[in-house]
Amino acid sequence: MAETLLAVSNLETYYGPIMAIRGVSFDVPERAVVTILGANGAGKSTILKTVSGVMDPQKGTVTFAGREIQGMDPDKVTRLGISHVPEGREVFPFLSVRENLMMGAFTRTDAGGVAEDLELVYSYFPILRSRAEQRAGSLSGGEQQMLAISRALMARPRMMLLDEPSLGLSPRLVKEIFEIITRINRERGITVLLVEQNANMALHIADYGYVLEVGRIVMDDTCARLLEKEDIKEFYLGMKESGVRGTRRWKRKKTWR
Amino acid sequence: MAVMTETSTTVFGQDTLPKLFRHVVRERANRVAMREKDLGVWRAVSWREYGERAKHVGLGLVALGLRPRDVVSIMADNCPEWLYTDLGTLSVGAVTNGIYTTDSAKQVEYIVNDSGTRFFFAADEEQLDKILAVRAGCPQLVKIVVFDPEGLHAFKDEQVMSFEDLLEVGIRYEAEHPGAFERMIELARPDDLAILVYTSGTTGPPKGAMLSHRNILFQIDYSDYVAELREGDQQLSFLPLCHIAERTVSVFNPLRTGATVNFAESIDTVPENIREVAPALFFAVPRIWEKFYSAVALRMRDATGPGRLAYHWALAIGARIAEHRIAGRRPALGLRLLFRIADFLVLDNVKRSMGLHRARGAATGAAPIAPDLIKWYMALGIDMREVYGQTENCGLATAMPADHIKLGSVGVARPGTEVRISPEGEILLKGPHVFLGYYNNPVKTAETVVDGWLHTGDVGLMDSEGFVRITDRMKDIIITAGGKNVTPSEIENQLKFSPYISDAVVIGDKRKFLSCLVMIDHETVAQFAQERNVPFTNFASLCRTEEVQRLIGGEIDRVNRQLARVETIKKFRLIEQILTAEDEELTPTMKLKRAFVNRKYKDVIDAMYAEA
Repeated sequence: MAETLLAVSNLETYYGPIMAIRGVSFDVPERAVVTILGANGAGKSTILKTVSGVMDPQKGTVTFAGREIQGMDPDKVTRLGISHVPEGREVFPFLSVRENLMMGAFTRTDAGGVAEDLELVYSYFPILRSRAEQRAGSLSGGEQQMLAISRALMARPRMMLLDEPSLGLSPRLVKEIFEIITRINRERGITVLLVEQNANMALHIADYGYVLEVGRIVMDDTCARLLEKEDIKEFYLGMKESGVRGTRRWKRKKTWR
Repeated sequence: MAVMTETSTTVFGQDTLPKLFRHVVRERANRVAMREKDLGVWRAVSWREYGERAKHVGLGLVALGLRPRDVVSIMADNCPEWLYTDLGTLSVGAVTNGIYTTDSAKQVEYIVNDSGTRFFFAADEEQLDKILAVRAGCPQLVKIVVFDPEGLHAFKDEQVMSFEDLLEVGIRYEAEHPGAFERMIELARPDDLAILVYTSGTTGPPKGAMLSHRNILFQIDYSDYVAELREGDQQLSFLPLCHIAERTVSVFNPLRTGATVNFAESIDTVPENIREVAPALFFAVPRIWEKFYSAVALRMRDATGPGRLAYHWALAIGARIAEHRIAGRRPALGLRLLFRIADFLVLDNVKRSMGLHRARGAATGAAPIAPDLIKWYMALGIDMREVYGQTENCGLATAMPADHIKLGSVGVARPGTEVRISPEGEILLKGPHVFLGYYNNPVKTAETVVDGWLHTGDVGLMDSEGFVRITDRMKDIIITAGGKNVTPSEIENQLKFSPYISDAVVIGDKRKFLSCLVMIDHETVAQFAQERNVPFTNFASLCRTEEVQRLIGGEIDRVNRQLARVETIKKFRLIEQILTAEDEELTPTMKLKRAFVNRKYKDVIDAMYAEA
């Protein structure tokens, strides 16, 4: 495997008295797509927020390209090359699409490069070009997701943190978005850390996966192997043997092996 | 107690379980027999309701074709319906048998056929699916009754009915056959088979131990050996009812004591449920006691400096009181006063945190326990007593007397029974508690009971005062390649005293040295790693970290220092998988099974010896 770009070690993050991340360690190799799967409230988004500096961990280290970045302000983290695409898109609704994209490039001074990248994101998402002057708030959910990803790209990051890009999108759009994510990774060499509830999609585009349950990693493996695990099939892919009666409601106990 | 004659085993003048049950239901009427949590609220069941429902189960089964001495199997976690079915079946002269909910369909098939089960009670959809999967191979099976029909509304099957429907059938039968139930209660004789208890064979298939009404009543009669219980006292039921110890404590003993049985919501909520219930008597297996201790030990490590000081100060005073108790002396007034203060300031809070502040008695059994652990509980002021016995003697064979404690022993023979050590060192038992034999297995029965003496398969010693010390299971004794006899369980118990070790299996039969496989305690070891910034992802990677290896190595060294040189453990490996009760390596009470572990981890074990 390639060099480790991001190394998270013994991370503990709290919401007030509630421990959301209970000691999590994982690595993301350079140019890889790594996914974190987990149910609601497992702590997936909290991990991303802690990496990007939106939240400060109580304990543990986040090392990016050999430098400890835990507790650093989000703008500094962005300057180091990590772009965070938050859950629910969070575009600036009253700014135009173009203005939104330019906001993504706020850290940069190379006007020529920025213009190049603007062309690049328009080539990934042609619909954004045609809506360039429209207010972002008037875009559809799928278009907003495209905008959020594009905005993150505008910072020319080494690594992107994607928080549930498939949330609330139609199956066709989900497929499209995931194709673009794969292209961004392959063509631009951008490392991707992807948090998803759509386990099927995530496992098919990622190289390596971690399964998070109530703030702890319970399983990790290459995605090819994760797809074969009984627990993944039953609890994340919704595949199960129907049993003797043809219907089965009860859940097996998770064993994570 | 005087030696009893064979015919005098009665409780409240009743000589069978059905008669005793009828008697106490009448006596206690509207007082609370049990409680179950339903949507967050504890709901009470009176003795009258208990009696009525048991009767309707019994009569319902009779209406469907149950005959006296037929076997009824129950596969459910602890719940009121389990008890209704148990006493209802017994009341109409039939036999009950519990099946562990963790058993697989294949195991269910074996037990159903071996016992000739005609009626099968399944807790829910999950257990129903197991019996449905194998019923084609169980020709004698008449009906399957489901306690909780949730999710089964669309399911129709000739052979399957709900518990509610069974009660309806019983109610109708009673209306059509007035007085029939009274006659059925009289059917059973004291020496008739009452219940079957399948013992998990570590070698060979499970065997059904047959226990008679007399066996059970004899043990009920001794229910106050740890603490005298009164009506209104609370108990918590959470260990599997298929196990003779839990069955005795939660089903049979309350017939005499009148204590209220509260059912834990699930095994995960036991700590909360204990705090809610605050039981007067608490029986648990060593694993549970170890877990409580670990939780307190860990909390104390995280406590503030003064908090820790206070804990150690109070515990030291408690330990001095315990020393006096063990020696059979009454502590001096000053020390007693000091203990009262320590209890008020510190120890009571520790007990409260475990839910044991109202416990007048506590007992441990079913597996060996480290004496230091008992001492710790005694220092807290909990009257913790070790008991010993097995299914084949209906649970209790020896118990620690209240006034004379010898730690490391399992106490003295239960009154009315005898204990003897055979020339081979095996512990033998005799008395009204010795079972009727194994169901349909005269060969095994003849091997086990010889001239009225039950051969326990345990090796032990007995001192001049009658205190029994268990060394090990006979077949577990390790003879090293050097010819040295080693008793693994003593070493294993020392290891398990570590909060980081959940269980361990010592290996070394016909080998040059001893080694062991260790199952770590996930929670405490994960916390240990987290505190020291040791990165890990999953359970296996946690086991593999150098720090955890060193931690466990250190725990083993600590135990090694207490052992003779030939007995020290030279190597160890961690079991890198989280094991659950469904795994064949574990017994339903979460003990590692030596034979299975030896077989399953053969490669790991061989590797340890190969590299030496």
